[in-house]
Amino acid sequence: MNVIDKLAIYEDQISPGISACVGCNVELTLRTCMKVLGPDTIFAIPPGCMGGVGVVGWDKKSGAKTPVFFPLLDNVASMLAGIKLHYEHIGRHVNVVAFAGDGASVDAGMQCLSGAAERGDKLIYICYDNEGYMNTGYQRSGSTTKGAWTSTTPVINGKGGKKQNKKDFPMIMAMHDLPYMATMSPAYIPDMVRKLEKAMAVESGLVYLHVYNPCLTGWGCTSDESIEACRLSVETNFAPLYEVENGSFQMSVDVKNPKPVREFIRKFKKFRHLTDEDIDALQELTDRKIDRLRKLCTL
Amino acid sequence: MAEVKVINGNMAAAIGARLCRPDIIAAYPITPQTPIVEYLADFVTGGLLDSSVSEVESELSAMSVVTGASLAGSRVFTATASQGLSLMYEPYFRASTLRLPVVMAVANREMISPQTLWGGPQDSLTVRDAGWLQIYVEDNQEILDTLIMAYRIAEDKNVLLPINVCFDGFYLSHMSERVEIPEQAQVDDFLPKYVPEHIILDPSRPMAVDPLTNGYLLTEYRLKHMLAQQNALKLLESLDGEFKERFGRNYGGAVEEYLCEDADYILVTMGSMTGVSKDCVDAAREAGKKIGLLKIRMVRPFPSDRVAAVLKGRKAYGVIDRNVSFGWNTGIIYEEICASMNRAGQFVPNIPFIAGLGGEDITAAHIDYAIDEIINHAADAVKNATVWLNREDKGKEDTK
Repeated sequence: MNVIDKLAIYEDQISPGISACVGCNVELTLRTCMKVLGPDTIFAIPPGCMGGVGVVGWDKKSGAKTPVFFPLLDNVASMLAGIKLHYEHIGRHVNVVAFAGDGASVDAGMQCLSGAAERGDKLIYICYDNEGYMNTGYQRSGSTTKGAWTSTTPVINGKGGKKQNKKDFPMIMAMHDLPYMATMSPAYIPDMVRKLEKAMAVESGLVYLHVYNPCLTGWGCTSDESIEACRLSVETNFAPLYEVENGSFQMSVDVKNPKPVREFIRKFKKFRHLTDEDIDALQELTDRKIDRLRKLCTL
Repeated sequence: MAEVKVINGNMAAAIGARLCRPDIIAAYPITPQTPIVEYLADFVTGGLLDSSVSEVESELSAMSVVTGASLAGSRVFTATASQGLSLMYEPYFRASTLRLPVVMAVANREMISPQTLWGGPQDSLTVRDAGWLQIYVEDNQEILDTLIMAYRIAEDKNVLLPINVCFDGFYLSHMSERVEIPEQAQVDDFLPKYVPEHIILDPSRPMAVDPLTNGYLLTEYRLKHMLAQQNALKLLESLDGEFKERFGRNYGGAVEEYLCEDADYILVTMGSMTGVSKDCVDAAREAGKKIGLLKIRMVRPFPSDRVAAVLKGRKAYGVIDRNVSFGWNTGIIYEEICASMNRAGQFVPNIPFIAGLGGEDITAAHIDYAIDEIINHAADAVKNATVWLNREDKGKEDTK
């Protein structure tokens, strides 16, 4: 069965009518992930966009059709580890899944996530990285790109923006020697479906999936450009698609002739104040990181 | 037949937990609770206990793992102390407001700063208003027995609340004494299997747990939570007799009254200081002083009716706190008792004492002094002027 057939046949586990922003590519990501994961799934949505839009809902009229819980911002992986431990203890298979933003994963929840990864708790942890606390009004996170405007790194008279580099979180998670780590993009749905299926087939240990999700509302970009923005993040090597299986790195989408990072950056209001030098620095960083990644793929 | 062993308080807690057969255990080592985690690991590795253990990276995760496991339907156990309990605070509060019957032993330890690691219940008393049930015990036998009672209370359908069984660090956790260990079958008879019927995360019964909830509904949750706490108090009182029948021991329920019946004066204690205090009360009685002792066991909910009933009409009472209530210049239990007496419309002359902070010894000399103060000076004591028993001047210079 090809991906289109699968996604046509699989039941949507998220009810219609959640209140995500028009064109939100996180909603598309969530729906796709949950379709593939299926009804035998318990998932956690910590505080963040997908919590805010009503995925943790009352019944089938609003929210999720599979069991769903609002964990704390900082304990997603441990709370899920407890659930998984219960099902392992009674010998029953259930997918136990996190769908968490970068704040709950890269920042506040990092300790719990790292602990669960080290212990090998059998979870599928999906992080939707929209580079900050978008649900509460676009505050910076450790995953925000250097230079970006956020509501806590304001730009006044052309000066300001975030001063530090983005945390390379997929790489940090890969270095936990996980059975499987992959980056995904809503512009590459067949790749996403394949990776989810692979994640579900993993027999032991934590799987980490990192999705780069440009936020239309928080970054300043129109709804009809949502998927194009996601695709550009891959085509510029700004957020490359790769996977790491038991320590072995592999590019999922090998971009032979990458577009300039400028094309991606210029899509968003949050980068509008960046100077040519600022953008050159981001290009240089992107080149350096893709070089490193390619080298890791040869090992 | 019950087995008799000489064991420390941490071992009593570990064996108490083992006898209750938790499905999932998650605990992070912290002085003075650390041996509990080690003993439980030994039990599981050695095949004495069929629990799944999560070797968590912090107390935040310990509390979170047991929360998740309990939400999925497991019986769970954890243990901690002081800074660890503080780190748990976010999921700790939530375990109670989710109405999860988590059982947690606390090897009470003083809070920093200044840096300290000795015994005292400042840690769990500080979080007394987070919706848990809390019981404080006197000796190692009581640790083991109360843990068994704790599961029965927490999992009762009219309660469904998490519970702390608290015991003084080092004074009990590291002190060895005689403990009777009941047979597994006895405990199994007393404690039925836990079957969750309220909230559960299970794909065969899908539900959304804890969506955003408006204030009018949250009000209902709070009201029912507090009623459930009162149910727990009633249950602890009524279980005392059943426990005695089955196991041959009882503790008086929410409080223990020692030589109170004909007493003119009452000394109120809690935790490990109670043992020496009973000896001092015995000695005072021999010297013709009509004093009795009231040991507080349950702090949440506070057994205010029973406490007021014991204290009313006496000539005077005194309360020894091994903790402070910042802002009141007294200890926490003293304030709880003042509130109880006020609610009952009673006033009896009284003295607040603070002793044993940071694990300092509370000696027979301190208790003797307190008893004489209660008898001789409660009537003319400056209201709420705390007597600091471990200070030479009893704190009089600084707090007047």
